[in-house]
Amino acid sequence: MTRTKVLGALALIVLAAGTWLAWTAPPEAVQREYYRIINIHVPSAWLAFLAFGVTAAGSIGWRITRKRGWDRMAASSAEIGVMFIALALVTGMIWGRPVWGRFWDWQDARMATTALMFFVYLGYLGLRRATPDPIARADRASILGIVAVVQVPLVYFSVYMWRTLHQTPTIRPDGAQMHPQMLTAMLVNLAGFTLLYLALLSARMLLAKREDDLETAPQPVAGTSVARPSLES
Amino acid sequence: MSFWGQAATIARHELKVESRAGEAFTIVLPFGIVALMALPFALGADLPLISRVGPGVFWVITLVFGLQVALRPSSYREPAQRDLMALLGVDPAARYTGRCLGSGLLLAGVGAALALAMVVLYSPDPIDGWPVLVGVGLLFVTGLVQLGVLASDLTAGLRGRALLAPLLATPLAIPLLLGASQAQEELARGGVILPWVLLLVAADLILAVSGVLSARPLEEAAE
Repeated sequence: MTRTKVLGALALIVLAAGTWLAWTAPPEAVQREYYRIINIHVPSAWLAFLAFGVTAAGSIGWRITRKRGWDRMAASSAEIGVMFIALALVTGMIWGRPVWGRFWDWQDARMATTALMFFVYLGYLGLRRATPDPIARADRASILGIVAVVQVPLVYFSVYMWRTLHQTPTIRPDGAQMHPQMLTAMLVNLAGFTLLYLALLSARMLLAKREDDLETAPQPVAGTSVARPSLES
Repeated sequence: MSFWGQAATIARHELKVESRAGEAFTIVLPFGIVALMALPFALGADLPLISRVGPGVFWVITLVFGLQVALRPSSYREPAQRDLMALLGVDPAARYTGRCLGSGLLLAGVGAALALAMVVLYSPDPIDGWPVLVGVGLLFVTGLVQLGVLASDLTAGLRGRALLAPLLATPLAIPLLLGASQAQEELARGGVILPWVLLLVAADLILAVSGVLSARPLEEAAE
């Protein structure tokens, strides 16, 4: 619990600094103030990719070791990833309305494929919820968790393969194509979001452990009014 | 019996069951044709528009209704049959392959019938390289059937499976839809279709590896 609190407190501090930096950075030449939403949109999208990568890693870990901790990590990370990807989609749509003139533009392949990834992981969570047995749940979900992560490179490269309105990457190996102040704000926010992800993952895994303990604990037979049968000593 | 012998026996049995039940050709196919007919009612009598959207609508309808063919109940999913197959030493991967082969043949038939219906109902512009398009269609069917069987196995025996399996399979089938529909667009324009064919081949290979490797764990999870 201490680790979660420390990570949460750190996340709050870094996100507060990131918000201030995002607020004080200069406006963009064309988009003016609207560009500031990248300080939420880009870290959310990156963290969603990371979260789904962790889900795949947890799924592989479960398949190899059969230790419940890996499955809890996979499930917890998928839930947080779905939250982040929803945030990325919503902020993308909010930004799209004033800049593109519409909330949703089918010419943006990345937007469309990101929305699909959101539904794939909703299906993952639905599969977990529909499987009552914890071992069968981990087994089935781990297979989907490994297969589904193939979508991540598809989403990333969709803008190169297909059609796009989406910007090409602004942070490239040959240097960032951004004003240093804007870049600093975005990177600080990315760090804040990463800490927030770690805090949420830690808290959710703890909760999942407690859910598992509750699931495997001896249950009263026919309610509390009837005692469990036992041999006389 | 060899791996492929087991797979072929299961595929034959799948086709025999279908010949008796007739689900793919007497329920799914007519339903798909009704769906093909529904869209022009919504669009109105705009013939150039109907002609232009026809091929795209065909791929979507084949995806949605093709998944129903792949997801339909299989006699090999019942616990008693599964136990018997395990006792007989049938490889779970051969069972997966056999089901894919059987359902794939059915899906190819349903797809061909839907294509014919689309040509009749939508009168799309003729395409010169249609034999290439048949190959693209087969790659699409190969991926779709593997995805359907995988989703069917993932959700075997679960409550809400009828809704959950299509939810799992449909978003994952979009790369197949994209590959097939864009290949057709490029073919109509006289462009290069190789990137889209490679996307289809990559998706098929990933699904084949995933399906074969996950067959045994999924069988164990279903017990």
